[in-house]
Amino acid sequence: MVTMSAGIVDRFSLNLTFVLFLSVVVVTLFMALLTAPQRDELGEFYLGNRTMSPLRNGLAMCGDYLSAATLLGSTGLVALNGYDGLLYLGGTVVAWMMVLLLIAEPLRRTGKFTLGDTLALRLTRLQRPARLALAVCTLAITTLYLVAQLVGSMALLTQFTGEPSAATRTLCVVVIGTIVIVYAAIGGAPGATVIQIIKAVMLVAGVTVTAVMVLHHYDWNPGALLSAAANHSGTGTQFLEPGLRYGVSTTSKLDFFSLELAIVLGLAALPHVLMRLLAPRKVDVLRSSLVWAVGLVGLVCLAAGILGLGATAIVGRETIAETDHKGDSAVLLLANALGGGILTALLSCLAFVTLLAVAAGLTLAAASSLAHDLYGEVIRKGRASETEELMVARLSAAVIGVLAMMLALVSWGANTATLAFLAFAIAASAILPTIVYTLFWRRFTGQGALLSLWGGLICSVLLVLFSPVVSSTPGSFYPESDFAWFPLQNPGIVSIPAGFLLGWLGTVLGDRQEPQEAAAYEEFEVRMLVGAKE
Amino acid sequence: MPEFSPWHDNSFTHSSPHNEPAPCRRISEDPEFHSLRRAQRRFGVRATVLSVGGFLLYVLLSHSVPGLMNQRLLGNLTLGLALGLGQFVVMGVTAWCYVRHMRTRVDPLARGLGSRLDQHEANSLRSAAHRGESAQTVQPGSRGYRTW
Repeated sequence: MVTMSAGIVDRFSLNLTFVLFLSVVVVTLFMALLTAPQRDELGEFYLGNRTMSPLRNGLAMCGDYLSAATLLGSTGLVALNGYDGLLYLGGTVVAWMMVLLLIAEPLRRTGKFTLGDTLALRLTRLQRPARLALAVCTLAITTLYLVAQLVGSMALLTQFTGEPSAATRTLCVVVIGTIVIVYAAIGGAPGATVIQIIKAVMLVAGVTVTAVMVLHHYDWNPGALLSAAANHSGTGTQFLEPGLRYGVSTTSKLDFFSLELAIVLGLAALPHVLMRLLAPRKVDVLRSSLVWAVGLVGLVCLAAGILGLGATAIVGRETIAETDHKGDSAVLLLANALGGGILTALLSCLAFVTLLAVAAGLTLAAASSLAHDLYGEVIRKGRASETEELMVARLSAAVIGVLAMMLALVSWGANTATLAFLAFAIAASAILPTIVYTLFWRRFTGQGALLSLWGGLICSVLLVLFSPVVSSTPGSFYPESDFAWFPLQNPGIVSIPAGFLLGWLGTVLGDRQEPQEAAAYEEFEVRMLVGAKE
Repeated sequence: MPEFSPWHDNSFTHSSPHNEPAPCRRISEDPEFHSLRRAQRRFGVRATVLSVGGFLLYVLLSHSVPGLMNQRLLGNLTLGLALGLGQFVVMGVTAWCYVRHMRTRVDPLARGLGSRLDQHEANSLRSAAHRGESAQTVQPGSRGYRTW
């Protein structure tokens, strides 16, 4: 595997990738410094420029939403699993519809800086415990996802140098982590937005151009692409039929449905994506931005599907599986076959920038939640000054970055997809029920919020702990021991209903709603539908 | 939406605060507010169930009745793959319908209620200052929440 991996990228494209990546980083760092909040304003640090045009907002949303997992991981899954892999990409697109149709506008009208603000506007009792629970959930999700990005950067390095030594890995994680900290801590939301937009433009352009090259290779005949993919997959037409990976048994089918559920409901509730929704000042700008994002996300996912099929058709499934059994190298192999060293270097640089941008967005979301919810409202009980809170936000960005770097180094070799899927499951079973109930359920109380947040978080983590991910199979963290009584790798199918159920139970069984609370919801609802004066 | 007649949309133009001596005590009891809530929520829920539920159903069907999904339509294009591509079309159409629905059905109502709310607030600030205080006690410990 090592020799194969080293063979993907030759010396020339390695150097080219390095130069390209360095220039993008230098340019974006300068832009982040130039656009950083100048007057130490909290709102600017958390939300950035609030009067951006819909297209720019849409690009930033698309940048936050699509991670390197979509670019490398999902295309690899398509290349290896055909139809089953395409379903992943479909889930990614559909999840954005949840954001557009249900969550975005009500959340924007009732939100301020973080999700905790929306919750606090609605609840009259147990505000601080609820904020604490929300901050812990946000931190858990962002840290998991951040570690997945950093481990992914090391895995990407493997494509260039073969199995990297411990020193190379440390260097890679420390360099990427430090750049991310600088974006988040110094640049704040304006800095993160700059890199998000640059990354989104690069991603859309790079993926579309490569997809066009694949289609051109097959004379714009999708049928030819499909049959070539089927022929080179080694599985014949089974490649284009469901069940190649997940059709083995009922358990695996259930597992796949559980994963799809977590993707469709969880991607829509990731904290850094939701925070991005609060940025536009005007609701109609938000709406146009979301529509732009629908188009961009759809385009990238469609192109990623073509890339995955093209990788199998041109490179062959066996070569991809030999190079990396997870399929992460499919895009780079395809680029090498189609456009030689230059295209490989461009796409590798794109993958690194994608990693960097998503990591910056995550760090910022975690820092905002820590500083605003945990420090500002829970510890200092709302008495912290803006300067003080801003200081804490910058410090927490650094602390979270360092923490994620250390965790990433410890968990080298962990499957990045598993970490990301756990993050989706927590988001879908803890944060989504709370948001949906907060926005739409009149009777929802603080007890319900606490129970669904803590319950959803603990339920998903425990289920993964007792699943084949951690023990009992050769691919798990502890292959020797066996305490896996939960048969599925993805907890979503149990933990998401549990989160909703716990929120309902906590509300129904808890104290009766006081008139004051009903009045608070009434006011909240007026604000949610009619909007507040700016 | 049968219960939601299109004429209702424009009713706010007839009930401007000037020819209404005693406006509703609370805006949340206003029938227009209820129709606004209904218009927004019903479309959101229906469209979400259609697009998200439709996709999940498609995933379930793919693995439970592969025979049906593997039917060839054209060359290597199976029914399953065609439905997958159809998801993108459904998404585009849903997004377009959402924007149109919000612009024609929801925004005019929200604007009308918003301007009436402003008027109402101005009135209540003038007449009864204590009601403003009671509204503030609902929100302890949130700095500057009402002003931005």
